[in-house]
Amino acid sequence: MPPLTPPKSGDALFSSVERVNAELFTLTYGAIVRQLLTDLEEVEEVNKQLDQMGYNIGTRLVDEFLAKSNVSRCVDFKETADTIAKLGFKMFLGVTATVTNWDAEGTTCSFVLEDNPLVDFVELPDTCQGLQYCNVLSGVIRGALEMVSMKTEVTWVRDMLRGDDAYEMRVKLTKQVPEEYPYKDDD
Amino acid sequence: MIVCVAVVGHQNNPLYLQSFTEADDALKLHHVVHCSLDVIDERVNNPKRNAPTLNETFLGLLYPTENYKVYGYLTNTKVKFLMVTTDLDVKDADARNFFRKFHAAYVDAVSNPFHVPGKKIASRSFGARVSTIVKSFGSGTTV
Amino acid sequence: MGREVAGSCLDGVVMEMVSAYCGRFYAAKPELAAGRIEAIGFQVGHQLSERYTMDRPRFTDHLEAIKFICKDFWSELFKKQIDNLKTNHRGTFVLQDNCFPWLTHVSLDPSMESTDATESDPALLGDTAAQTTSMLLYFPCGIIRGALTNLGIPCAVSADMSNLPACSFVVRIKT
Repeated sequence: MPPLTPPKSGDALFSSVERVNAELFTLTYGAIVRQLLTDLEEVEEVNKQLDQMGYNIGTRLVDEFLAKSNVSRCVDFKETADTIAKLGFKMFLGVTATVTNWDAEGTTCSFVLEDNPLVDFVELPDTCQGLQYCNVLSGVIRGALEMVSMKTEVTWVRDMLRGDDAYEMRVKLTKQVPEEYPYKDDD
Repeated sequence: MIVCVAVVGHQNNPLYLQSFTEADDALKLHHVVHCSLDVIDERVNNPKRNAPTLNETFLGLLYPTENYKVYGYLTNTKVKFLMVTTDLDVKDADARNFFRKFHAAYVDAVSNPFHVPGKKIASRSFGARVSTIVKSFGSGTTV
Repeated sequence: MGREVAGSCLDGVVMEMVSAYCGRFYAAKPELAAGRIEAIGFQVGHQLSERYTMDRPRFTDHLEAIKFICKDFWSELFKKQIDNLKTNHRGTFVLQDNCFPWLTHVSLDPSMESTDATESDPALLGDTAAQTTSMLLYFPCGIIRGALTNLGIPCAVSADMSNLPACSFVVRIKT
């Protein structure tokens, strides 16, 4: 059973985790993207790899999140989305996202980020306009949600690197396995 | 008024050059910038005369001509910053402050993962930021 | 204090980068993977040295620059300094970190041993972990080389992890 202590606030969560210099993180990610573009040549393939990296990271971060946040299982997709936006983003990136643009069925929503530490200093060159620079983030969301039994498709609809006014990713719930616990059987 | 600024790499390769004057004296300015680079090399290679300020990034007045004064700044990474002004009376603190902001803008520009070290800085936001810094130079002190 | 993010974000992208290059891209060519990981570190070190030397006078000699790497630079990156600096006074410097953060994270993180290796025997698993660790170290080696190169000191950097979790970085200055 999850502990019955109330969930921590986003700020309390962020201050409770080990933190590192954001510049090191931002520049490291940037250097990885740059190197992938050199090695893989196809921008589409770079997008895919960034998403895959994010997915793998997401599947691990969810454990750390559940362990530190005292969040018990969320009842539905809506509650899960709110938790990720308010607590998840804050705990890991130190920023909060807004959940918005819900569809009528409550299975598709948007995460909107106005402040995104991933892109500090980044300016996309004209030669890689097809690059989804922040694909690692959408991958993380997809990976993390899959670990709590929610299969999703995540796509970028707004990107400040392309001149939009915010970052917005569209998260569509495609399949939910309701009976499964967020923990694996052998835990 | 600042009429020209330049960033020059450690092999005297131009990284950024921008003039801020309507007058058609680009050639003259380039010449002034060029001569100033020689002054920097000379100072760094023969440091005795400037012993107290030996390793300070701010190099002060490099090259006074009839119409211009050129100030310089040399980073730890051997990148040279130059500023050419028509002002007769430039406060030391203003010049230092200018270079600190100019250097900070440069550091952010080369932190772009797509910037290639040693290549010219193409960033639009860098250009805009430098223009702002140039326009605010000495404001409130001398008009 | 500047902006911060959770350490697990940095660990995550570094681990994923290492496993992508060693597994998905260049599984059969570890020397190629090592070169790419080092190159990524080099870019980061090059950029960081520009940032962190911004408000300081120029270094007068190699030793001063190396000391900067050991103290201020390392502190910005890892919130602590290099524990021990040795030199042979002939261009070789050994920077020892008694408990290098990225190594403790790797050994604590079981998921690094990649899911498809879980069925194999423990000895093999240990092998994989050691390999991953040695590949991972090309990243900080690249950071150090990038930083020193940008400060006008061309060099080669290698890592010695024979004494985990301590790690020594050997800097050989090219003359």
